[in-house]
Amino acid sequence: MANVSLIDIEKRFGAHVVIPRLDLEIADGSFVVLVGPSGCGKTTTLNMIAGLEAISAGQLLIGGRDVTDLPPKARDIAMVFQSYALFPHMTVFENIAFGMRIRRQAKSEIDTQVRSVADRLRIDSLLDRLPKALSGGQRQRVALARALVRRPGVFLMDEPLSNLDAKLRIEARSFLTKMHQEIGVTTVYVTHDQSEAMTMGDTVVVMKDGLIQQAASPLEVYNKPANTFVAGFIGSPAMNFLELAIAGSKLIDPENGFAIPLPDRLRGALTAYPKAKVVLGLRPEALRPVPRNVEPRDAPLLSIDVLQHLGHETLLDASSGPHRIVARVSASDDSRIGEKRPFLFDAEHMHLFDSETGASLAAA
Amino acid sequence: MSSRALATPSGRTLVRLRYAAPKIFATFLALLLAAVWIGPLALMVMTSIKPNKEFLNGPFALPIAPNFDAYVKVWQGLHFGVLMQNSLLYAVLGSALAVGLALVPAFALSRFEPPGKRYIFALLLTGLMLPQQTVLIPLYDILRWLHLFDTRIGLIIVHGVYGMPSQILILRGFMTTIPRDIEKAAQIEGATDFQIFTKVILPLAVPGIVVGYTLNFIAIWKEFVFALVFLNSESIFPVTVGMLKLNSDRYISAFNLPSAGLVISQIPIVILFIFAYRWISSGNFVGSVKG
Repeated sequence: MANVSLIDIEKRFGAHVVIPRLDLEIADGSFVVLVGPSGCGKTTTLNMIAGLEAISAGQLLIGGRDVTDLPPKARDIAMVFQSYALFPHMTVFENIAFGMRIRRQAKSEIDTQVRSVADRLRIDSLLDRLPKALSGGQRQRVALARALVRRPGVFLMDEPLSNLDAKLRIEARSFLTKMHQEIGVTTVYVTHDQSEAMTMGDTVVVMKDGLIQQAASPLEVYNKPANTFVAGFIGSPAMNFLELAIAGSKLIDPENGFAIPLPDRLRGALTAYPKAKVVLGLRPEALRPVPRNVEPRDAPLLSIDVLQHLGHETLLDASSGPHRIVARVSASDDSRIGEKRPFLFDAEHMHLFDSETGASLAAA
Repeated sequence: MSSRALATPSGRTLVRLRYAAPKIFATFLALLLAAVWIGPLALMVMTSIKPNKEFLNGPFALPIAPNFDAYVKVWQGLHFGVLMQNSLLYAVLGSALAVGLALVPAFALSRFEPPGKRYIFALLLTGLMLPQQTVLIPLYDILRWLHLFDTRIGLIIVHGVYGMPSQILILRGFMTTIPRDIEKAAQIEGATDFQIFTKVILPLAVPGIVVGYTLNFIAIWKEFVFALVFLNSESIFPVTVGMLKLNSDRYISAFNLPSAGLVISQIPIVILFIFAYRWISSGNFVGSVKG
């Protein structure tokens, strides 16, 4: 096991800077998930840790040892690829044993370790098969076994579940989490799937354009997003954003009937804020129509555009002028398409963001 | 056509015919093409088992009294066994040399980006575009200078070097299709570049190697000009040059003898193809990547 330190890491492809500057400390034994949209630099970062991409500037330490210029084999790492990358001409046994054979370990030792890891991953009956005779889930386990068998200091995973079907992915997700809890190896996991990031990682690192937007625990990233990008990327459906004018202790849009009182904790955040407008962020679960038997008072009126019944709950797409929101309500909600309903904005879960930079002003 | 017209039996037949017409045409075209290829081969085999007189009476007629006399005559008269041995030697070793010389450059050109890669590649491919005749005199001089003129090894080297550019082209194309992740996985597992090449790329490139080797084998087997110019001794002639004898006055009117010689000379090619086909169609990458 080892900690990983990325210090002022920069990555350039010719004149094109992909990662301008990256600082990240990954604690020993932690499960860190790098998440972000395509092209955000998460896989490049992983490849730099692996030694598959050269680091243009900065320093990479694994277990306190400077490995910046060392080849992959000298870094004490193992990696699971998105495509599994099994050797198609080798049996499952040979695939798992490949690294140990390269290191010229004793035959008996290889045999014992391969069988032990295969047993643990429930692929012991497949050792004589070629990869083409395996299902997607089995191939994924073989790739995992190949990485596990060498007992590396750091485990790197590049979207290892993205080729599995939805059901298998959920199974594999809990399997990997359980496995990490058992063996406790430092793991760096790359995904573009925010639900994978939220459910698996101790720490979620949200990236965009080669920069870390926020690195925190899953709940902190969800409840205290650092900016509108993080707030919009983490959570499904995404957070709702409403650009409103500041009028004393209220956020207003008179043309569309918005006059939302701010809770005390957010008023302070606006005292030093010089701009006239601010972005109000609300998760779908922080919005709901005012019950029909309750007096709506100043609640903004929104038109129901779409109803998405998910069985256990319903998503309401509603709008008023340029403002569009998605609200998560109970399945028993009786809203109808085309109807206008007053909506409650949960003051406890409001977020405020800078209208120009998107940075968080204060969070619930 | 109205729906009522379609409902009648003749209407349905017309519709079926309209859908079947492209298939019928394609089948006819395939049969025609097969006939163009198989026709001369069949004629060659037929001629080889007919007495010469029978051939002169009806070149396209089926043999009345088929026999293998021509095969025996050709085999004994031309020392065909020796010719075949020589041809096999040139084709087996010349192709192995061509593929062997091409493997490393093909790997490098498929994976790395050395400075001036385009020019290196263009230079290598120039070898493909040079007509044989343009290199005859320089090669003749080089072989004499190296004391390799009129030697088996000299001709093998010429075939190997001359075949290398096309092998680079074939193998590079094939190696480019080997998923990069497989190579990266080997790298992560601790393999050196040489180990990646020998333990991963090379076994996966086998179908490409077999394709390249087979094509080169056929090219050398059919080759005539190099062997004619660079060899003098009859004992080391390949089949193509050895069979020239059949054009001498003694055999000029004997059509069955060259036919028998040609049939015998095609046997190794057919065997090679049967063997190579299994490899070419093996689909070696299945299961390596994705689900």
